[in-house]
Amino acid sequence: MQQRKDVESQITDDTTPDDRQRFMKTLSETDALFTEWQEWQSTKELLDETHAMLRDPDSSMRAMAEEEYTTLNDKLSTALQTTFPKLLVPASDDTSKLSAYVELKAGVGGSEASLFVDDLMRMYLRLSQSMQWDATVVSASEIDGGGFRDAMLEVRGTNVYDSLRWETGVHRVQRVPATETKGRTHTSTVTVMVMPIPEDEASAESSNELYSLSDVRIEVMRSRGAGGQHVNKTESAVRLTHIPTGITVSMQDERSQHQNRRRAFRILQARLLDRKLTQDVIDRRDARRDLVKSADRSEKIRTYNYAQNRVTDHRLGLSVKNITAVMEGEALKDILDGLVKHHEASVLESVLAEA
Amino acid sequence: MPRILPTELFALLSKHVGQDSAGMELRWLRAAARDPHHLQSLVSRRTSGEPLQYILGTQPFGPLELLTRRPVLIPRPETEHWTLRLAELIHPSSQDPISLLDLCTGSGCIPLLLCHLWPPGSVQAVGADISSDAIQLAVENAHRCGIHVSTFHSLLRATDSNGNTFTPLLADIRSLDFAQSSALRSPFHLITSNPPYITHEDYAKLSPSVKAYEDPRALLGDPQPTPYGKGLTFYHDIAKLAAREGFLARNGVVAVEVGIGQAEDVQRIFQEEGRLRETEIWRDPWEVQRVVIGRR
Repeated sequence: MQQRKDVESQITDDTTPDDRQRFMKTLSETDALFTEWQEWQSTKELLDETHAMLRDPDSSMRAMAEEEYTTLNDKLSTALQTTFPKLLVPASDDTSKLSAYVELKAGVGGSEASLFVDDLMRMYLRLSQSMQWDATVVSASEIDGGGFRDAMLEVRGTNVYDSLRWETGVHRVQRVPATETKGRTHTSTVTVMVMPIPEDEASAESSNELYSLSDVRIEVMRSRGAGGQHVNKTESAVRLTHIPTGITVSMQDERSQHQNRRRAFRILQARLLDRKLTQDVIDRRDARRDLVKSADRSEKIRTYNYAQNRVTDHRLGLSVKNITAVMEGEALKDILDGLVKHHEASVLESVLAEA
Repeated sequence: MPRILPTELFALLSKHVGQDSAGMELRWLRAAARDPHHLQSLVSRRTSGEPLQYILGTQPFGPLELLTRRPVLIPRPETEHWTLRLAELIHPSSQDPISLLDLCTGSGCIPLLLCHLWPPGSVQAVGADISSDAIQLAVENAHRCGIHVSTFHSLLRATDSNGNTFTPLLADIRSLDFAQSSALRSPFHLITSNPPYITHEDYAKLSPSVKAYEDPRALLGDPQPTPYGKGLTFYHDIAKLAAREGFLARNGVVAVEVGIGQAEDVQRIFQEEGRLRETEIWRDPWEVQRVVIGRR
């Protein structure tokens, strides 16, 4: 609001047309906020007046005031919880159009963790189906005995990245494995990483704004012996290393090197975009005196407790007492909505603290 | 969507191809199978030694997906790699079209990929092979890739046709009258080849997946068995063709794939018998010297 006043006071008769245009832009960008702010202030004034009437000697007057007070109060809380967050949370990184890769890796817990990779993968596939997103498994390394060491999903659609980005972190499962004879509950983990798919994927195999091709080392994996005509075994695995960051991407799920290389470059591009967006959040947080908690990738974000039929999201402090509903996708939607609001609220908090 | 498979299939495949490849191969076989029963039969074909590419019936080659059929040589990743690199090295255009001859074309992978990657109307390719199975498959592959198949080779067609063309030629490239074949219109600007280069000594030690399924005529570098043969017979023949007056255009390029340890010998053959002054060796992604390039 101060910025708006400043700008308004700067517009005078002798402003150059260029400056005028710039000022007008600032004004129009803050128009919606200005309207809401005025609305808020007048509601607040009314509320104060009503507050005084609550002590009116006349009882019918008091009843009216009480009713009025409730309505006004509701209006203010809506403004506070819904309207302002939308307007104040910076829309500068528009990520709403981005699709995402969801990578799942078995953590501690051996074969239980691998089985849980499978469960989480199915959970995200079912969620995608009910959100009408287009999800495919781009890679999955199956292990003997069931489950996957790691897996990668490609999920395409609107709002995919924004909805799923808070899934990044450690997911913990507590349950009794089928092989456990003494009925003991085991704890295992799966690490999830959600990466945005850049809009210009076609530029993945050339230098682009995220990396220079000369910084990427391309290696083939496994030896082929004499190779060439001597060997007809499919050997298509490819590994990329982005030298400045040390990020590596291995891909072996396609039947030719050419295809694996192409996929690997796309994933590298997504990793680096993820890194950039995360860095942007950290930079902004630092600028805001450390008020927004950044997502620590090694942080335990959620626990799936089968014995107690309960899923707890640790950031929201929310427990859903129906594990199937979460795994089927429906209750997961509520958690995801909660996380988006949680993020908006923490950004808003820091914006307000700054003002 | 992947689902957990009977672990027996995985174990069977692991024994045959190793655990790393077993997971991948199982996924690809599963995608090709109609039902669990069919999958089981595909896996048993694989464990009896049949190459995966024959079972699946296709092999990606660059952006193309080519048909693979016994006994025609399966396109190798090394060949894919150098063909893509060659496509970046030479820049034909419809204003400046080139004529390409691929010797021992097999599935047609090399000329078809080049025809696909280069601009329309920029290349007229001939693919020669001694095997009618290979020629038949190469023609099917050309159709599959949307490349025009023409019975007669002529550079003149380049300007009046909108696409690139592929001309199949069933012939023995080692025969004395090959260069005079009526289907060939020299000079050629580019000669490519992945000729058979395996020595008899090595051939005896090859995996049954190669030996029992792929055509020995596509593998054995010395068609007449000689105990000390170095597998280089075809390179001498290719060098002689390149040396023929008017066969290779001025500034023309010859690019051939070689077996492990053969690059320097082939380089010498090119210099001494092929009248190719400028030669170069390319390595494959596994750091093996894999291609010899010669320039007139």
